[in-house]
Amino acid sequence: MAGSRRALLAGLASAWAGTAAEAAAPAPAPQLGPRWGMVVDLARCIGCQACTVSCIMENAVPPDSLRTIVNTYEVTKDGVVGMAMLPRLCNHCADAPCLPVCPVGATFQRADGIVVVDSDRCVGCAYCVQACPYDARFINHETNKADKCTFCAHRVDAGLLPACVESCVGGARIFGDLNDPHSTVRQRLDAEPSAVLKPEAGTQPRVFYLHLDPLLSGKVEGTPTLWRPQHEGA
Amino acid sequence: MPEITEIIGITREVAWLPWAVTYFFLIGLSVGAFALSLPHYAFGRPGWARIGRLGLLGALAAGLAAPVALLADLHQPGRFWHFYAYPNPSSWMAWGAFFIPTYLGGLFLYAWMALRPALAEDAAARGWLAPLYRLLGGPARPGLLRGFALLAAVGAALVLLYTGMEVMVVRARPLWNTPFLPVQFALTAFAGAAGFLLVLDRLTEGHEPAAEAKLNRLLAGLLLVSLAVGAAWFALGALGLEATHAAALASVRGHHSFQALALWGQAAVLAAILLALLRPAGSGWLTGLVALHAAWMFRWAVFIGGQSVPKTGPGFYDYHLPMGPSGLLGILGSMGLLVFLLVLLDALMPPARSRAAIAGATGKA
Ligand code: SF4
Ligand code: SF4
Repeated sequence: MAGSRRALLAGLASAWAGTAAEAAAPAPAPQLGPRWGMVVDLARCIGCQACTVSCIMENAVPPDSLRTIVNTYEVTKDGVVGMAMLPRLCNHCADAPCLPVCPVGATFQRADGIVVVDSDRCVGCAYCVQACPYDARFINHETNKADKCTFCAHRVDAGLLPACVESCVGGARIFGDLNDPHSTVRQRLDAEPSAVLKPEAGTQPRVFYLHLDPLLSGKVEGTPTLWRPQHEGA
Repeated sequence: MPEITEIIGITREVAWLPWAVTYFFLIGLSVGAFALSLPHYAFGRPGWARIGRLGLLGALAAGLAAPVALLADLHQPGRFWHFYAYPNPSSWMAWGAFFIPTYLGGLFLYAWMALRPALAEDAAARGWLAPLYRLLGGPARPGLLRGFALLAAVGAALVLLYTGMEVMVVRARPLWNTPFLPVQFALTAFAGAAGFLLVLDRLTEGHEPAAEAKLNRLLAGLLLVSLAVGAAWFALGALGLEATHAAALASVRGHHSFQALALWGQAAVLAAILLALLRPAGSGWLTGLVALHAAWMFRWAVFIGGQSVPKTGPGFYDYHLPMGPSGLLGILGSMGLLVFLLVLLDALMPPARSRAAIAGATGKA
């Protein structure tokens, strides 16, 4: 299963020269079995939102919510204007603050690192929504339970890639086993500087970014977008 | 200095609804009112009888209404039993599920013991309810009364602790993540409760100017301490003396509605302090309502204001109070329930207003 995924991803690897890493990618854990993670190569993201749409289709995300989105920013530096893309999703943090707050233990981390919600147990208290530092969670208005990216656990368990990875036009989203020294994610992390979002939060995200502008790694300060989709009422 | 404009972003809507504000408001009032009932019932302090009865009335009514709002804030209220079937000890909310019944159970037992002799005396005048009053009434049991008061007091302290900690531990929301927050919740709860009792003193029969003056002085003291703590919170943040406070303040910098709310709250509280001190007897209506308002607005600013700060994006999320159950209707419904419970309990609790009126009221209820 992992082998086929590696084969799929192998072509995506490229040889970016590495300088100082902003957040050292963790070494493979000496454990049996995979630890799933994602590497997002921002130099390859064109902001097409194919991942956003395929996630909605794959996971029946209600119209007013999103499990992943490509945040898009206009950045002006030294008079030069450029666009910056930042695909955001649940980071499947190694030290996830959404876990301990759940009063009924509905949010849990699988052995392979994927953080999921047991929808049969979730009481919809939204404590986890508050605790996630990345605004990755929301209350699904159709199920009235906590919702978030699952790395498409149902697909991964069937040997498939997450829908966002499979649909990524630029090949920016790379998924694989961080414990496998031969996986593309592992090799890219070992070869290039990478960064995570809000490293100071101590959450140890397992979604890594290549070519992340430090201006965007924390809470972005600037001019907010004028239009934001929002559920009217609840 | 680089400039960033967000082109595509999303809004995460408020997930703890005004129901949460209502719950924190009501449970705080209940705990504070319970504390104010203790001097009379548990310690037999002279001059506290009126305040004692109002405290018991307020504690019971707000304590009964609070869990309704709490349940409504769950998006799966029918699953509340999961709290007891699958408790997760690392979650303050999980502990809350045990602290609330501890407090409320203690409160009901304490109220029963506190009213036991009066219930027995009252039985003859209660018409068809007389057997119930005789069953519940009886001679005073001071030992049990104190024991249950202690149980309720421990429960009340645990409720204050968990409600404060539950919010404070959320590092992802800098506005919540300050060590002052539990203290501020507790202080505004007690001040709100003093205001609650001032209003109840005017709403129920038997207004006592002496009790009003006592409550007003207490209120002024509590509001002063709240203001001082608020000023310390601001100073720690503004002067950069402490990191969590600086982050909290920074998170709402430029948040105009939050700032307007904070300024309005301070001004109203200052006015209430002055009024309570200058006219302790006669201003209860106004000072009481302002104290209730301040307790509500503090929670509103913390919960709704806090949730309008994006965790990753610039600016603030807009919040518009929905008209339906998750907004205005829910708030009005909760307050309606509170008023209903106050009227019902006031009629049922001895000493009563007039026997004829009680027979009619309880007959309808
Ligand atoms: S990104 Fe948020 S929801 Fe995902 S694991 Fe981390 S804390 Fe939990
Ligand atoms: S919303 Fe569900 S998953 Fe999240 S903390 Fe509450 S019970 Fe747990």
